[in-house]
This record gives sequence, C-alpha cells and structure tokens, in this order.
Amino acid sequence: MKGSVMKGSLGTSVRRKEDQRLVTGHGRYVGDLQLPRMRHVAFQRSPHGHARITGVNAVAALAAGHRVFTGADFAHVVLRAQSALPSYVETDQPVLAHEKVRFAGEPVAAVVAADRYRAEDGLELVEVDYEPLPSTVCAWDPPRESLHAGAPDNVLLERTFDAGSVDDAFAAAAVVVERELVTNRHAGNPMECRVGAALWNASDRKLTFWSGTQVPHIVRNMIAELLDLPEGSVRVIAPDVGGGFGVKAVLYPEDVALCMIAMRMPGTPVKWVEDRVEHLAAATHARDHRYLIKAGFAPDGALMALQADVTCNVGAYSVYPWTAGLEPLMAGGLLSGPYRLDNYRCTVRGVATNTAPSGPYRGVARPASVFAMESVLDAGARELGLSGVEIRRRNLIRPQDIPYKMPSRLVDDSGHYDECLTKALDLLGYDEIRAEQERRRSAGPSGAGEPPIGIGFACYNELTGLGRAASAGPRMPFRTGHDACTVRVNPDGRVTVFSGVTSQGQGLETTMAQIVADGLGVGYDDVEVRTGDTDESLWGFGAFSSRQAVIGGGAAHRTATAVQEKVLALAAGLLEANPADLRIEHGQIGVVGEPKPRISLAEVARVAYLESNRLPEGIEPGLEATRFYDPIRGAFAAGAQVAAIEVHRATGELRILKYVCVEDAGHVMHPQIVDGQIAGSIAQGIGGALYEHLVYDDDGNLSTGTLLDYLMPTSAEVPDLVIGHVSHPAANPLGVRGVGEGGTLGPNAVLAGAVADALGIEITTLPITPATVWTELQ
Amino acid sequence: MDVTFSVNGERVRLDVEPRHTLADTLREDCGLTGTHLGCEHGVCGACTILVDGEPVRACLMFAVQADGSSITTVEGLAGEDGQLHPLQEAFVAHHGLQCGFCTPGMLLSALHLLDTDPDPGRTKIREEMSGNICRCTGYQGIVDAVDAAAAALRAEEPGDLGS
Repeated sequence: MKGSVMKGSLGTSVRRKEDQRLVTGHGRYVGDLQLPRMRHVAFQRSPHGHARITGVNAVAALAAGHRVFTGADFAHVVLRAQSALPSYVETDQPVLAHEKVRFAGEPVAAVVAADRYRAEDGLELVEVDYEPLPSTVCAWDPPRESLHAGAPDNVLLERTFDAGSVDDAFAAAAVVVERELVTNRHAGNPMECRVGAALWNASDRKLTFWSGTQVPHIVRNMIAELLDLPEGSVRVIAPDVGGGFGVKAVLYPEDVALCMIAMRMPGTPVKWVEDRVEHLAAATHARDHRYLIKAGFAPDGALMALQADVTCNVGAYSVYPWTAGLEPLMAGGLLSGPYRLDNYRCTVRGVATNTAPSGPYRGVARPASVFAMESVLDAGARELGLSGVEIRRRNLIRPQDIPYKMPSRLVDDSGHYDECLTKALDLLGYDEIRAEQERRRSAGPSGAGEPPIGIGFACYNELTGLGRAASAGPRMPFRTGHDACTVRVNPDGRVTVFSGVTSQGQGLETTMAQIVADGLGVGYDDVEVRTGDTDESLWGFGAFSSRQAVIGGGAAHRTATAVQEKVLALAAGLLEANPADLRIEHGQIGVVGEPKPRISLAEVARVAYLESNRLPEGIEPGLEATRFYDPIRGAFAAGAQVAAIEVHRATGELRILKYVCVEDAGHVMHPQIVDGQIAGSIAQGIGGALYEHLVYDDDGNLSTGTLLDYLMPTSAEVPDLVIGHVSHPAANPLGVRGVGEGGTLGPNAVLAGAVADALGIEITTLPITPATVWTELQ
Repeated sequence: MDVTFSVNGERVRLDVEPRHTLADTLREDCGLTGTHLGCEHGVCGACTILVDGEPVRACLMFAVQADGSSITTVEGLAGEDGQLHPLQEAFVAHHGLQCGFCTPGMLLSALHLLDTDPDPGRTKIREEMSGNICRCTGYQGIVDAVDAAAAALRAEEPGDLGS
C-alpha cells in the first residue's frame, strides 16, 4: 500500500471480463451447446392469422421415424398471465395450439429428429387442416371476430387515469391542440434469436433447461409451477445470451414445449434454435399504438391539461407473465413525462388482435408516449409562437419540485431535466445550427439550393431500478423489487460472486466484479462473477426495467460489505487488534495509519477454511455472505435528446447531421459500458423512428418476415452520437440510476420534431420513411 | 459427400450431406461455434468468414462448395499463444462489442477491409461494415475499434502496405 490510497475500480472503464471469450469465438451461447445423443426440434407454425384447427395428421411423420408432438399432447398446460386489475381479462395461451390458432406463426406441432434438417423434413409430413376465420390486425378497427371467449370486444384491459379537473382546465386554456398519432409496430430483434435446450433426468426427476433468457429465476419458477415440479428440481441456465432487449424476458410456449418434450424423452437432450423468420413472426412485438391526445396551454406555454385515449395492440395473447397491461399502463403512467401537470385524464386499453403477442421491448411504451407528448408540446409552441426550447423549459419538473408526484401518482426523484436539455443544446451547438438553418432558409426559394435543416427535441424521465413500492405495474402476483447476491472468499483469498443478475451484453459480469472488488477491498482481477445459473445464484428477477445496476448492484455492494466485516473481525482476532482500526485494500489488511499491511486476505481465508485451530473465539469457519437489496422506490433518470437533421425535398430522405443525448446516470460505474448502453439504445430508437416496421396484411399475414423487409439500422445509418452526462447520485447504496433503456425514448420525438421544424409538416404516423415525408410535401 | 478444406490452417476432411451449409458444418462438425447464425438468409452478416481471403456468408454457402478452399474463422485470429489480433484487442479496448453475437462476423469483415485498405477512415469503415448488423452497440464502438486497429496495424508494418 505504501501509504497511498489505492484507487478503486468503480468509475473506471476496466477491461470487460466477458470480452476475451467473446472476441475469440469462445462464447458459450445455448446454440453452441452439444450434448451426447442430442436431438433437434422444429416447430410447425400456423400459416393463418385466425383459423379453427379441424384436423391434425402426424401418421406420415411418425411412419418416417420422427417424434411428433401436437396440441393435444400438451393441452393440459396453458400460459395464463395474471393481474389483479379490475377490468383485466386473462387469456389461455396453449403450449401448442389446438382448437384454433390466433396468429400466423403460432406453434401447432413439434417434430424431434437427429438434426434440424431432418426435423424440418418431418414438419412437411405433419398435416394440419384449418378452417380460416376473419382476422383483425388493427387494434382500433372494430373486431371482425373475437379472439377469446372472455373478451368479445377483444379488449383485455382498460384503465382510466384521472387527476385534477381536465374540463375546467381546457375551458380556461388559451390554446388547445388535438392530434391523432400512430406508432409503428416493431421488435427488439436481438442478433441471437430465441434458443433453448432441455434435459430430463428421470431417475432424479430433475429438469435442466438451458435458455437464452433474461429472467432465469422467473423461468424456473414458472416452469416448476406449469409442469408441477418441485422448484428445486428445475435448473435454468442462461450462459452467454446474444442480446435480449425485453424479447427474452418472456416465457414462451416454445420454452414450455421444449421442457415437456424433454420430459417425454427421458435422458435425451432436445434443442431448439429459432431462425430469424420464426423470430420475426412469433417472438414478441411492441409499440403498435394509437394516441388520441389533446393538450391545453396557457398563453405563456404552461401545460394546463392533458387528455388522451391510448389504444395498444397487445397481439393474440396477454404476454406471459407480464400481461396485456404492460404497454397500456406504462403509456398512461408516464405519458406526461418530465412535465409538471395537475389536470390529467387518460384512458388506456390493451386490445387483442391476430398478430404476434406484444411484450416488453426496451423502453416499454415510452418511445411511443414520449413521441405523443412531445408532438403536442411542439404543436402548442407553434400556435403560441414559442420555441421548442421555451415551451419545454416552461413546463419541466425542476429540482425544487422534487419529490414530484406525477398526475399518475408516480413520484419523480430527479429534477435535472433542464440541466440535461441545456447541456444537450450546448453540445449540439444550438445557436450555430439555428443560424445555419436561417441562412439556408433565406438563401433561396423553397425547394432549391441546400436542403433545409430542422432541430428536434425530447425530454424524458426513465423510471429505473423499481423497488417493491414502485414495481406494482399491472398488479401481477409477484413484486420485482429485489435481487440477491452471494460473495464467497475462497481459501486462496480470491473471490467468487454468485449474482442474481443476468447479462445479454450489458457487461454485468464486469460491473458486479467492480462493485464487489471495491466493496470488499480486493483487486478487480481477483473477482470472478457467475451469473445466469439458478443452481448457483440464490435469486434475481433478471434484466428488465433498467433495474440491475441499481438492484443487483445494490445487493452486490451490501454483500461485499458484509463479507468485509467478517474478514476484518477474523483478522482483528488474529492480530489482536480492534476491527475498527483495520482496513483492507487490494487484498491486504493493515492498521489505519501504518504504512505496511499486517496480513493478507489469502492468509485470513486460509484460517477461515483450513486452520480452525487459529480461528478467533466466536467466529464461524468460512468467508461468505448472501444479502438482498430492494430500493423500495425507484430512481428516475432524467434525459434529453436533441438533433439536427437535413431533409431532401426531392426524395424525402432525412440525414442526421448531429445527434446529442444527455442523461443523468447518477454515479457512472463504468463509463464505457454506460455510454455503450446509451448509444445502443439510441440506435434502436433511430431504427424504430426511421426504418423498422412489422406490417401485417388484413388477413393477418406478416409481410415483413425477413431482414430484407424488416430494415434494421446499420453502421451506414446510425451517425456518431454525442453523449453527455449530468451526474446526480440517486438515493441507493451506489448512487446509480439505470441507463439501459432511456436512449430509446427520444428518437421518435426528436426526428419527427426535426422534420416538422425543417419543412413545416407534422409527422403523425411512424416510421418516418422517405415516402412519408415526400407524400406530406406534395 | 467427401469434402476437404483447411480451416485456420488445419486440413479437415469430412463426409457431409450436400444440403448442409458451411456455417452448420463449421459449427457442428468442426466444433467451431464462434461462427454465429443471426438470420440464415444472408442479411445480418453474423456468419461472415473468409474463404480464400474473401468474406462470405457461411449461411449462404454449402459445405461442399468449400471443397479445396482455405477458410478463416474467428477462432483463427488470435495467435497460438493466445495473443489477440490487433482487431480483437481494439474491439475490447473500444467497447466494440456488448453481447458478442455479431462480433465474429464483424471481426472477419473488418479484417478483410483492413487487408484491402489499410487506412479506410471512418466514413469508409461505416460503409464497408454496413453488411454486418449489430443490435447492441449503436456501432460507435465498432467504428472506433476498426479505426484504431487500422492505425495499430499500420504502425506494426511500416512500408509494407499492400505487399
């Protein structure tokens, strides 16, 4: 130690522990798993959006030597997402469809064979007869035929948020704007599709399920319940997972089918690797919403009232286990965003259609609701002759308003929105771009010369790290407020962490190691982190709601601190010192004020495990602790995005000149990872705003079923992004705020606002394609 | 059908079904699971490998078509002592990967780019790498990494460019 203060690893961009294996091709994804006698599964999927199943004939496939499973085999199990909300209608999602199919792509049969090629051969021999029914694909069109007996109007959930006196406020408003806004269905679409492998050990009655999931403990809990197994007999392993973004936070019928197939084929591991066509058709979609929205403003731009009717297309089933309330309630709860508002009335509903189920996708509903909110702010500003900056500043929640109770009764603990916006404008070079915009405008007649420039804005509050009081959501039968962590000092003084967090690219192996290294007082390189295996870590809800840095990180910190206490107590006994006088840094324990350490952690650990004769009185062998953490409430993360674009009038094509995002991540634990999360989520937001669109025809056929039709942004479309920070520590052990999702919230609003600013046309339907812009210009 | 090719310098002889893709053959018969499959219809680029020095989509090629060729996969980039290739090192240093699923394809596309143009610059990197989709990074770290690797490789071999 040489008397100097050892620098901790938190706050620095240490080398990611994941990277060595990932850049050398030695990642361990479920698709890479090869086990002796492994068999491969392929699913037969419905070609119809809505149809009655009138017959299933597997004789030819069986005769060819395949194992075949159909709906009847698994009819006793259904996936039924539960919520205690009064208006909620449950749906029964079959493991393999029988009686009827409700979306094109729904699995109806499974074939098991020696390899995937042969399994697909087998599918061709399974005959399923259908009697087509009318499909409904648009949630705000009248249903042609209801999907579920319990919901004749296809409405699975409806709720009204009501605060203040909206009618009086509208009557008093100087300006009222009203819009109909429609956002585009798109999807998380991680580069690794869904994947699973299952093995049933009949003699021990134990099931192992390798799954590319974001939520292994929830999966274990649900699989055990659905298959009536003791939970301790189910082991779920999520090794390296190739991106998730919410799509893999769902338990799917295919997952359950794999486990049930494995139980019918004891000792034979069965694997299913989804292909992209299956993924686009049958993994969850999102963001297919319509907003009928009305806002009233005072002459100075103050937002006086907000009223909305929000319809979310939730697809064919209420997604398991998150329910059909996921998107509607998030839209209604956070529509007013970071703006002060007293008078609010908003009815949200989730409507079933003959499309793939909607599920969680990074930013859940907010990319759409922020677009709606920012659109009416921009419209109000135009009518009042205010700038986009002025109307936002007039209404943003301020530091002195904190804690601010939103009209949906959520409590905002961040007031740093103006600070984010101001910094974003600085980084953009707002004044210079406005000057250039003016120069181009005055340079020549419209349509000639240089393309017009526009600037767009979005401010948002991202609710992260939800504790038990805030994670109420659609009143599901579980509360996702806590995670556990176990920290074990091994007999050699090195550390193994069994963390309840899961990683699909967020680098949590690295972040948890940093937290434990600093919390315990050891070097980052001496900490190994294990995640994703329910037989190793005690508990974690997994990756969603930007929760893991706050909650899993809080648990890791608490646990490391507890282990440090025991280390120091044990060392104090060995050294005959007072534990309060001891300090551990980089695995060396010394007395505060002394230049040289007295004893190493390795020696203390050796005593703890191997030399009980030296153990001080009253101290148990071993060096390990397990702790939970629940932040009770959540940590709002403030954010602002601004961008300058130019639009070519002849083609309608939009080019991003500069894109800026400023967020409040609280304490930044690993700057590279934090910026990587923000950059990646903005890129997804840009994809959703400009390119990505899942389109169904009226009969329920997905017409964008490959990556040739479903356009994902590439390095040629996503510009260099400018990312800035304001860092106001949140009230949790590490002072952190979640950053996983915020970036997705801005691009729809920013780019639509920028087009309006450039051309004076309002974008009311997303995505903003060249065709949309060109058509509006004619 | 019998097929013989070399993978990362090692000669491989296999009996494969004619319909098996090169990607599946590398993954399942050669145990080289670093080559990933993201779409299986030739768009995403995750399965990009080099065949006789040229980048190909291993999902769009049958194994039998590779007969007699020389193949490089991500497993062939690092030195035998485990020393990372400058491109791999740059991807780590510049956070050019998150989940790592697209990374093998990215590395092979970037390797070919830098083989053909040692000093491409950011604009050309963005154009040339646009055949590989990444869903995690927003591409910034990838562009930074390829740019940095180009500089590192130029420094390694001064005056030896293009030979």
